[in-house]
Amino acid sequence: MSRVSPVTSGRERAGRNRGGMSRNAGSDVKAAYLFIAPAIIGFTVFVAYPLIRSFYLALTKYNGLTDPVFVGLGNFRRLFTVDPAFWPALRATGYLVLLYVPLSLALGLALAMFCNQRFAGVRVVRTLAYLPVVLPAVATITLWKFILDPQVGLLNTILDRLGLPTSLWLQSPKMSMPAVVLVMLWGVGGTMIIFLAALQSVPTELYEAARVDGAGPWSVFTRITLPMISPIMLLQVILQTTAALQTFNQPKILTNGGPGFSTNVLMLSIYKNGFPNLGQIPQLGYASAQVWVLFIIIIAVIALTAKFSSLWTYSDNTPD
Amino acid sequence: MKRIFTMTALACAGLLTATACSGSDSGGGSSDGPVTVTVMTWESAQTNAAIKKALADFKDDNITVQLVDTPAGNFGDKLASLTQAKKLPDLFWCGNDTEQQYTSQGLLVDWSSKIKDGDGDFKADNFVPSAMENWKTADGQMGGLPSLMNTYGVWYNTDAFTAAGLQVPKAGWTWDEMYAAAAKLANKNGAKYGLVADNLTSLDGPFTMGMYSVSAGGAPFTDNVNHPTKAEADAKYTEGVQKLVDAIKSGSVSPPGYDVANVQSLFSAGKVPMMFGGQWLAAGFQTDKPKVKYGFAPFPQVDTPTTLYDSVGICTPTYTKNQDATFKVLEYINTKVWDVVQPASPVAPPAYTPAQASYFDALTKAQQPTVVDTVKADLGAEKTVGVRFTTQWAQQVGDLTTANYQPILSGKKPVSDLPAYIDKINGLIKTAG
Amino acid sequence: MTTLPTEATALAGTDQSGADPAAPPARKKPRLVGTMAWYVVALFVCAVMIVPLLWMITIGLKSRTAVFDIPPRLLPHEWTWSNFLNGPKAIHFPRLLLNTFVITALSVLGGVMTAMMTGYALARLRFPGRKVWFYLFVGSMLLPGVVGLIPLFQLYKSIGWYDTWLPLIVPAFLGGNPLFIFLARQYFLAIPYSIDEAAKIDGAGHFRIFTQVMLPLTRPAWLTMAILAFQASWNDYLNPLVYLYTSGKWPLSVGMASFISPFAGKTPDWSYFMATNLLYMLPPLIVFFAAQRYFIQGLGALGSTTQK
Repeated sequence: MSRVSPVTSGRERAGRNRGGMSRNAGSDVKAAYLFIAPAIIGFTVFVAYPLIRSFYLALTKYNGLTDPVFVGLGNFRRLFTVDPAFWPALRATGYLVLLYVPLSLALGLALAMFCNQRFAGVRVVRTLAYLPVVLPAVATITLWKFILDPQVGLLNTILDRLGLPTSLWLQSPKMSMPAVVLVMLWGVGGTMIIFLAALQSVPTELYEAARVDGAGPWSVFTRITLPMISPIMLLQVILQTTAALQTFNQPKILTNGGPGFSTNVLMLSIYKNGFPNLGQIPQLGYASAQVWVLFIIIIAVIALTAKFSSLWTYSDNTPD
Repeated sequence: MKRIFTMTALACAGLLTATACSGSDSGGGSSDGPVTVTVMTWESAQTNAAIKKALADFKDDNITVQLVDTPAGNFGDKLASLTQAKKLPDLFWCGNDTEQQYTSQGLLVDWSSKIKDGDGDFKADNFVPSAMENWKTADGQMGGLPSLMNTYGVWYNTDAFTAAGLQVPKAGWTWDEMYAAAAKLANKNGAKYGLVADNLTSLDGPFTMGMYSVSAGGAPFTDNVNHPTKAEADAKYTEGVQKLVDAIKSGSVSPPGYDVANVQSLFSAGKVPMMFGGQWLAAGFQTDKPKVKYGFAPFPQVDTPTTLYDSVGICTPTYTKNQDATFKVLEYINTKVWDVVQPASPVAPPAYTPAQASYFDALTKAQQPTVVDTVKADLGAEKTVGVRFTTQWAQQVGDLTTANYQPILSGKKPVSDLPAYIDKINGLIKTAG
Repeated sequence: MTTLPTEATALAGTDQSGADPAAPPARKKPRLVGTMAWYVVALFVCAVMIVPLLWMITIGLKSRTAVFDIPPRLLPHEWTWSNFLNGPKAIHFPRLLLNTFVITALSVLGGVMTAMMTGYALARLRFPGRKVWFYLFVGSMLLPGVVGLIPLFQLYKSIGWYDTWLPLIVPAFLGGNPLFIFLARQYFLAIPYSIDEAAKIDGAGHFRIFTQVMLPLTRPAWLTMAILAFQASWNDYLNPLVYLYTSGKWPLSVGMASFISPFAGKTPDWSYFMATNLLYMLPPLIVFFAAQRYFIQGLGALGSTTQK
């Protein structure tokens, strides 16, 4: 994919000795590697090394202070057969993803379509909807922790005043995960903005043509809007799912694993094993094994979604 | 533009170096000459201030004592991090379980010989005997010295009891009386539960339940929390569990998962009629005076008085710079410091018996007679039950408890599943112990 | 395939795409109902987003014990303005604020700089391995951060960076955000080569072309990246939690979270906390309102650049 025209390369040779770093093919390479050198170092240290090292650690028993002891697949055996916390952690993670991803996409799209209309004050709504995304995560999560307090929190106070049923929220094994997802959904403004951009790049001629043909709003939505934004939808599904699989802040701050294991998602379980509290010995090898399980799940999800994407996304094959 | 870029690059380099430098601690003093001994506690800000004042009176030409600032809420995280970084202070507050785990990993200095033939009064005989026993590992090592005893009991709201026409809890009251009171006090005057018993419903729950069975003449949950050989749940134990399950079901006792972060404030506001808690809350109530009249009673019993037993202490890492200096400061803390701290902040009875007088005096002066009586009764109780395992695999027990014991309490699993849980614990003891 | 940010600004300003001027304006009554319905929903949405923040302010104004009054009152009885002074003091707010500023400023600088440099080289310079490196960098987006957590923790420990800010800052300087590299490359690819030619004729070398020609041209790109990087760093909780244990070195995220963790039965002071929380939210809010256009544009660009 050469984008340099023959004319340019001729000029390159002519301009060999002008200016600081001369622009011939050889110095191009040197300059390029100089420019991407930091990224190369970063890749080696922060991508390649952790991949290899964490895989090695997953096969060991390691407390961070003495040398790792090789145990082969012992960690994985313990993980899948003996550990009472692992399967509940998987269940909790799966529940979170199933609750959060569809809701956030649906709500984000709905809000985007809502804000995509010409009404006075729509900019205010859009700004306010995006506001929670701007605020620091720790600030909003800790605020919501208090809002969800069953005895003195805002939510139960309002529900009580309206005569609606209250709940123990974060302290109830049934409602703890929905409560966590609720807190996460408060930041749906970010998804909204992305969908808004996607909606606004759908050419209006399509809508006009549909109107001329007499299509109702539902057909317009399913036959035009959805297919046109399907590439973004695909990207969002992948991004949101992988992000949801790695949720840490909310469960850690709101419930630290919740009543029982109800909110003990995999990331939290990994953290508890690798960086435990109050003088308990860390199990870094075991936590690394869990990391790899999570990693495989994420890769599987991405691969599956991408594979089936061609079935339902619309790709614009016009050449650019 | 180029100049701006160079300036920015220089500024960045400067900032980066500054951050790197601020990161490295300046090392301790040389081995000759004055030694600095660092101390880290988990006490509240008020208590720490009192400790700092007391430490200032430590007169020794060669030793300076320095109190390391730790926000109380993060002591656990900080301890774990410092252990990993091999930067633990010379003396740090630690629980019995931490001491046992760390000593068996070879991370702590062994004081057993120094304390056995100590100089003057500072020797093993002058400590609470059971505390001394519990702080020894299987091979007789002591990675730290006990400093304060933890006693537990039931804090109660006197006003709520009088309003409901009930007799306040006192020594000799029974479990049935407690559950009956909880049922009567629940859902009244803004209180949701009649009793918040975190000790019974948290991960330490199975051990706390042992109080019921032991008091009824049965066996505790485990034979020894430090070197267990088995766990068991006999008929009396199961009976105790059943009573708790019924109480939780009826809504008079808080279920597992109840967030106890705000309980102290709720109690002070009069919204929690009874709560299980430690005697250290007395110090907190000195500063945040509760709105209601309150008292502290020992745990209920079946036949004989039984209580939970626990102690905390101070440990030293092996890489401490000067063991003798550190031991001197340790001795000072255990003997003299509490005399100064207790009047302002009566936290706990010291494990060093001669120093206990100042604690009880401080409490009496603060008009907390019920606390004095209960703590004295607890210290002298003939039957005690350990609070939790102190072994290296204790964390895994927590997971088993969450998966098997707590669902029984919340009613998700039948009480008949209790033996299955015990089997799993025994399995763990066999493989890991 | 690529769109310059000029297209994306369309979304920031106009709200006209939905309405269709060609449609007949008849049938006013359903339109009125429709409009009313829209405003009701809009009010509800705004309330959901704003009421928690308003409530935070009322808690911040309550006295310590009033917080636990049952049933809770919506407005404070006494207006304890001193909470706004005492709360921040309790966690050494100014110190933590400074920490956060330094860490964030350096991360943003490093992230944007290296991403632009890498994107530039990948887009505009010919060199062997250009495609390979691009796929490697973008592929590393798939790597969940958690995989690196434990090995990097041990690595930093062994080189003495534990309890320093370096683990939080240095990755940014080493191309730590592959998404930015991807975005940068997209922007650079859209710039016509004639500009390069002109600069070359004037005798500029690579470095000068990059700094004096490319960077000003792609200003929307790196401004947006800077804002996204600012948000990411200001919000980061897990990394400082793992790598820093001295409370004086914490950024605000860890400091605020530790505010509410109880220990040994001592309830956290919620009124202090909420007052401080408000102050904690102010800097990102200020940045947001000042650069609102770029905030929204940043995410919008993500929406349109990947829209093929």
